[in-house]
Amino acid sequence: MRPTLALLIGFWLLPSSVFAVDYEHDVRTLLKERCISCHGAVKQEADLRLDAGALILKGGGQPVVMPGNSGDSLLIQRVLAEDESERMPPEGARLSPDQIAVLRAWIDRGAIYPTDEIIPPRPADHWSFQPIQRPDVPAAMQSSWVRNEIDAFVLADLERRNLAPEPAASPTALLRRVTLDLIGLPPTLAEQQAFSEQPDLTAVIESLLQRPEYGERWGRHWLDVVRYADSNGYERDAEKPFVWRYRDYVIESLNQDKPFDRFIMEQLAGDELPDRTLESRIATGFLRLGHWDDEPADPQADRYDQLDDIVSTTGQAFLGLTIGCARCHDHKFEPLSARDYYSLVAVFNPLERPQAGRTEKTVMVDDVEIYAWREPDAIAPETYLLKRGSPTNPGERVTPAVPAILVAHQPAFAEPDEQTSQRRLSLARWIASAENPLTARVLVNRVWQQHFGQGLVTTANDFGLMGSVPSHPELLDWLAHWFMHDAGWSLKKLHRLILTSQTWQQAKTPNSLVRYRRLEVEAIRDSMLAVSGQLNPQRSGPAFKPPIPAAALEANSDKEKVWQASPEPEASRRSVYAFIKRGLVVPLFESLDLADTVSSCPQRQVTTVAPQALTLFNGEFSIQQATHFAERLRREAGDDPIAQIQRAWQLALCREPSSAEQELMQQFLREESLEQMCRVVLNLNEFVYPE
Amino acid sequence: MSRFIPNRTPCGLTRRESLWQVGGGFAGLALTDLLASTGQAHSPTAERPAHFPAKAKHCVFLFMNGGPSQVDTFDPKPALKKYHGQPYSGDAKVGSNGRPIGHLMQSPFEFRRHGESGLEISSLFPHLSRFSDELCVIRSMHADTAAHASGCLQMNTGSIFIGKPSLGSWLSYGLGTQNQDLPSFVVMTDPRGGPIGSASNWSAGYMPAAYQGTLFRNGGSPLLDLATPAGTTDRTQRRSLDLLNALNEAHRQQHPDESELLARIESYELAYRMQTEALDVVELDREDAATQDLYGLNNPVTADFGRKCLITRRLIEKGVRFIQLYSGGGHLEETWDGHSDCITNHKTHAAETDRPIAALIADLKRSGLWDETLLVWGGEFGRTPTSEGVDKLGRDHDWHGFSMWLAGAGVNGGQAIGATDELGFTAVEDRCHVSDLHATILHLMGIDHTRLSYLHQGLNQRLTGVEERHIITKALA
Repeated sequence: MRPTLALLIGFWLLPSSVFAVDYEHDVRTLLKERCISCHGAVKQEADLRLDAGALILKGGGQPVVMPGNSGDSLLIQRVLAEDESERMPPEGARLSPDQIAVLRAWIDRGAIYPTDEIIPPRPADHWSFQPIQRPDVPAAMQSSWVRNEIDAFVLADLERRNLAPEPAASPTALLRRVTLDLIGLPPTLAEQQAFSEQPDLTAVIESLLQRPEYGERWGRHWLDVVRYADSNGYERDAEKPFVWRYRDYVIESLNQDKPFDRFIMEQLAGDELPDRTLESRIATGFLRLGHWDDEPADPQADRYDQLDDIVSTTGQAFLGLTIGCARCHDHKFEPLSARDYYSLVAVFNPLERPQAGRTEKTVMVDDVEIYAWREPDAIAPETYLLKRGSPTNPGERVTPAVPAILVAHQPAFAEPDEQTSQRRLSLARWIASAENPLTARVLVNRVWQQHFGQGLVTTANDFGLMGSVPSHPELLDWLAHWFMHDAGWSLKKLHRLILTSQTWQQAKTPNSLVRYRRLEVEAIRDSMLAVSGQLNPQRSGPAFKPPIPAAALEANSDKEKVWQASPEPEASRRSVYAFIKRGLVVPLFESLDLADTVSSCPQRQVTTVAPQALTLFNGEFSIQQATHFAERLRREAGDDPIAQIQRAWQLALCREPSSAEQELMQQFLREESLEQMCRVVLNLNEFVYPE
Repeated sequence: MSRFIPNRTPCGLTRRESLWQVGGGFAGLALTDLLASTGQAHSPTAERPAHFPAKAKHCVFLFMNGGPSQVDTFDPKPALKKYHGQPYSGDAKVGSNGRPIGHLMQSPFEFRRHGESGLEISSLFPHLSRFSDELCVIRSMHADTAAHASGCLQMNTGSIFIGKPSLGSWLSYGLGTQNQDLPSFVVMTDPRGGPIGSASNWSAGYMPAAYQGTLFRNGGSPLLDLATPAGTTDRTQRRSLDLLNALNEAHRQQHPDESELLARIESYELAYRMQTEALDVVELDREDAATQDLYGLNNPVTADFGRKCLITRRLIEKGVRFIQLYSGGGHLEETWDGHSDCITNHKTHAAETDRPIAALIADLKRSGLWDETLLVWGGEFGRTPTSEGVDKLGRDHDWHGFSMWLAGAGVNGGQAIGATDELGFTAVEDRCHVSDLHATILHLMGIDHTRLSYLHQGLNQRLTGVEERHIITKALA
């Protein structure tokens, strides 16, 4: 926008206009930082919004900007106000002279903004807060490609954009892909053989879903979401006694295909359910998985820190909401108020952590020690909104409630029974109800993300205004509706629907919805153990401790006693059973992007850095597995290098080596050992990136 | 020690020839060229521009683990002499964790004015005192916690809770690093053990693991899994890596658009170069005798910290962004945590570090790196001006007021900023919160602490948190 000559002359008279100002870069950034939390889509103090040029010019009850005349503009008068009760913004430092000059320059130049600027919608209209409807399944043209409803939605979308689906991946690639996907292990030779005789992928999916390894694989995904770890962190970093029962509960629940609404209710309120069991009581370990400082800097604040861990994790895990940001003040970018936050605190406030001084206590249920909180009294303590999050600054009293933006009417919170306040059960019933607009969408998206490498919503823990919008909104809603009403919250039915779709069975290309993505560290480690023949299938029970190199223990304040590694057979169990110590994460796990152990992890990071190569190429675990792998090849394929190579490829990569590969490996084996070859195979990109 | 030799294979062929021989059928040549041309494009620690021209390119944090006593080091309190042996009746909260509170206790160490500036430093640091005109002592530090675990976390990550990225992670994330063959953020702990909370103190928290601190040992193989495995020769190691590259490259050609595959191939080459670079850094034999002597390598008291300081200089030369050295490790008297006898404790730990730190300053000045390196000295908190228990020699934790110092690039040396009260309990003048220190360190590194943010859990998280923080402008040159 080129200023006219008249305006240019004006610049000499108006010092504020001397420098160039960019609306997008300067004005919007400043308003966003300092004004929009009160004058934006979420909140409109004085009916004024400053989050789009058209709205700024519209003003509130009265105009706030006079284009070309900053001096007469209320906006400028208020930011300049000497009277602190008048001054805007009311909180924090005054705008600096430079910042005020930016606003003045923009106004004096005519308050010009891009005509195509998008006005952010009202939060109540946000897509994920709307009831879940069942969209019609579109009739796609190339209907022969369509195998189920997922394909119909995806194909319709492709056709709208004049695109065609990618071809299907090869059957053997799909066998390896689906096996790693569902159980986190590569297919065995016997499974490969059976599949080559009868290449029925649907039957394979069915049998994998019935395997106990399914729960070990998918249970870990849920453990990511609920910040699972085996210790508390901080100075003593003490073991959480019997916390592994919760881990086993998750694995077992998935293997049983427990309806997910029930799974939610057990974790939040398994002790309050009318049909409570030992199992449902163990499930409430969910509430106690967080980090905990047994020597808190401020004991009063510590109580609220623990409640914050529960409220934040509950918000992200089940609702995809970053409610934790509303602890100190109304959420700046979401329609979540501090009142919403403390109403949820009121739900969990009756809980008490069983402890004797710094030592944690367990709860006895049916003569079994479990790791859970308890409600000592059915009468709940009063809960107050804490101004600026400070326990010494209580505001109004609050009662249990769910975030107001999500409901037309608050759900009824039950009255206490003889044992507990029943508050969590009421919350759990609302979260796990078909009326909740978020729960099913969030869960279906998590499952989709794990199968495809990328969610329909790419921010799996954030379905709020700041989260990303769904790539296929109708498909997501159809899946969520189908999941609740047709599949009865059955994860296994959802897996079947997804895995049997043509969409999921496409070859992985940049154009396909299935993404090329490195396996998680658990699947990499477990695959190495499976291929080397060392995998110990022992299920459930206390966690094992994988060896940690002495060099990595040196940096610990208790280096001699901090970590007693389990013997090799025990240490060869699946990774989901490995002890996760918050203050000392096993280096192999840490370098290969283990989930954040402190807060809910929406999706594993995939970083690619040199220490990973050092660990996988030189580390003791790799060398051990390469040695076992070589022994296995000699045992099973004899001394013939051709047969050894062939078998190595089959075991690790689920395919025949090409003739070029055969030749190259034979050449290598003429001078180097089979162990060296095995180490190379376990480090291949193809080994950790399934097709 | 066995290790890779870059670009030459033991049989005398160049790497390129060797690849051609081993992986000829798989376009090994194309790979080499590709690697050369893409360089560090994929690296999460690729160098990035600062917000504004930085005074310092490198930062060295000399972490005095356990909490050194301010009144025995950099904050002289003549009033303590006057009131020595009397009970304290003021307002400051004394004592941590129910430990006994004794009487006011004067420092047995004599304070003298040093240099042109006349900065007062106690007799614990005779060597460092020579550089008094370089030091900017902040006598008005304060923290939020009385416990080591949360205190170390706060000094390192700005938060008393675990799970947050550390200062070095923020710098790696914000600025990247100049040398991809070495970690951008190096940590060297004490041979007696690490700080309480160990790796939480150099964790990348919610950021990718690429930004976490890398432990660097000062003897043997400096990095975890750096050494070629026992029983594998250099030649075999190189051939195995070449084979891996050849197979990976053939695979990649079937997926030319997948950049992660190329990045992973590069990471193995990078690891290979790291072997050479990192081993080179710790080979101190190449330093001349005068330098080794300067750092105190020939004296068993100073040898360990001296080696760390000398390695630090070499890491700075190689472009490493952030280096953290711990003095003291494990528990209690093995750290600066002088609960039972603060006098003996501080004599021990000061003697171990004084000469090496002075040597590092002298050496950086000699090599011209002083002008681009920021030094930070201090612990997680200070110690009480009272003894811990009547007629005892220990001092308890004091988080209301303590001393730290800055020196080097961008720092206005030769002064003490702020003050504690008459007795040294509480910061009263120019109070400086730990997060103010962080804001200042970021500023000196060219970063606006309000603009460096990382989106996590729906919020743009910052090292300095949501409270208003202030750069310590008096410290700036």
